[in-house]
Amino acid sequence: MSAVQEALPAVRSSRDATVRRFALTDAIFHATTRAAAILVLVLLGGVAISLVAGSWQALSTFGFSFLTTESWNPVTEKFGALAPIYGTIITSAIAILIAVPLGIGIAIFLTELCPRPLRRPIGMAVELLAGIPSIIYGIWGLFVLAPFLQTTVQPFIISVFHGIPGLNGLFAGPPYGIGLLTSAMILAIMILPFITSITKDVFDTVPSVLKESAYGIGCTTWEVTRRVVIPYTRIGIMGGIMLALGRALGETMAVTFVIGNAHRISTSLFAPATTISATIANEFTEAVGDLYTSSLVALGLILFVITFLILAIARYMLMRIDARTGA
Amino acid sequence: MSQMLSPDMTIAAEAVTKAKIEVKNLNFYYGQSKALKDITLSLPERSVTAFIGPSGCGKSTLLRVFNRIYELYPKQTAEGQVLLDGQNVLDRSQDLNLLRTKIGMVFQKPTPFPMSIYENIAFGVRLYEKISKAEMDGRVEQALKRAALWTEVKDKLNASGLSLSGGQQQRLCIARTVAVKPEVILLDEPASALDPLSTAKIEELIDELQADYTIVIVTHNMQQAARVSKQTAFMYLGELVEFDRTEKIFTSPREKRTQDYITGRFG
Repeated sequence: MSAVQEALPAVRSSRDATVRRFALTDAIFHATTRAAAILVLVLLGGVAISLVAGSWQALSTFGFSFLTTESWNPVTEKFGALAPIYGTIITSAIAILIAVPLGIGIAIFLTELCPRPLRRPIGMAVELLAGIPSIIYGIWGLFVLAPFLQTTVQPFIISVFHGIPGLNGLFAGPPYGIGLLTSAMILAIMILPFITSITKDVFDTVPSVLKESAYGIGCTTWEVTRRVVIPYTRIGIMGGIMLALGRALGETMAVTFVIGNAHRISTSLFAPATTISATIANEFTEAVGDLYTSSLVALGLILFVITFLILAIARYMLMRIDARTGA
Repeated sequence: MSQMLSPDMTIAAEAVTKAKIEVKNLNFYYGQSKALKDITLSLPERSVTAFIGPSGCGKSTLLRVFNRIYELYPKQTAEGQVLLDGQNVLDRSQDLNLLRTKIGMVFQKPTPFPMSIYENIAFGVRLYEKISKAEMDGRVEQALKRAALWTEVKDKLNASGLSLSGGQQQRLCIARTVAVKPEVILLDEPASALDPLSTAKIEELIDELQADYTIVIVTHNMQQAARVSKQTAFMYLGELVEFDRTEKIFTSPREKRTQDYITGRFG
């Protein structure tokens, strides 16, 4: 008993030392993680500031008309961003239109319908698509997909829609092969793995009892998916789509190969066009004047703002959905 | 199993009501392991039957065979016969969606669908019936009243089903099940995640529903089985040990194992 009492102070002091050591390591841990989080904000702010500073000359020269002018003329140093903005938004929007149904379809098949032994191989194949470098998509698009579209698909579509008001404008002109639609198709293939794998992951989070109770009142797989699984996971799906959209908006290499790089707005989806990132990639080496360089940086700023706005709108939409359902 | 029923009981049961579900020599496998061993019993129409037994005894498994929900998972197989009104539901030709509209199921945890309270109920009805908005309103109201939930939710039918409390969610699930007009309702420990007040409401509800439906309830709570059921089946390690009138099981069980379980000596 006395031995225990004698040992007590020693135990206490060593315990105090341990507690102090813990407090110190905890503080260091706290500080490092906070510093890492702050670093992100600093980097983001730095990028934004340098974009604004770099584009100042162009923006102050052209003013608001920089956004509304189609012409892009390095010789006369008249620059307008409308054509690349148009190309960026249209190619990304079409890519999303193609990739979302396809990606969600693949995810539904993999989680609900696919025979178990095939699940992993198909899932991995889709994810491998994400691992292919974009330059490979670019050369494949230019040398394989574009000639194929040019000789078979495009002439067919042009002849089908010829004379139909509205649609004949969308699918008009000589079949170049390269252009808006080809870029959008390449982009769709590139963003497909993002949508598929995120959708598949969130589908797997649906509690099995929830699915069982839907099957339990006599739902078919389609009804369970449509009315229970997708509504339950819509936030995750939206997240995946937004991530994919962000990727599509900024994708440079593959698009540069197949877009045609024409500073022109055309209603036809078969016409060559350009995107913001393709313009920057193509022209920054030959941008000799300060105003030219500044205009390219301004394009970068616009892309930054578009991406930011789209993410903000997506967040806002999700908040509205949550508020309405009270979830 | 019939030798276990006292002769007078068999006669009494037959006189009162016919069998809704008859299970004959049912074996069930999870992969290689046998979870149900040669189960034979018959559940009378419009009455409550309770399945009791320790965890892993197969009572939930037996319930999941009745509406074949187990088939959602690979490597789960059932052999034998489960007759619903004389028709074998394990038959390959049985239409699963149709079967599941006849046999409703409520789970241990409340599972409201990610939609409004109104839609939670209308959804299931709409799958198999084309009815007008006014009729649907009536059906929803009737189902919610049946589940003793109407007064609590009638002013917020458009709120999400997920916004309700746990007990309310469970009653919503029962309302949803009732709304599609099933013949049998399977309850898999419907009150185990609920507080005593909600539990009491659910039990009251079960008592009322048995006038119209054949109800099967799996429960860990022996007092609950004693309170709500007319017949009780005691299962142990995949076997049906004893099946009889509830008061018989709880007062003078035939089997030593049943006696030991209900007096709390194991399980």
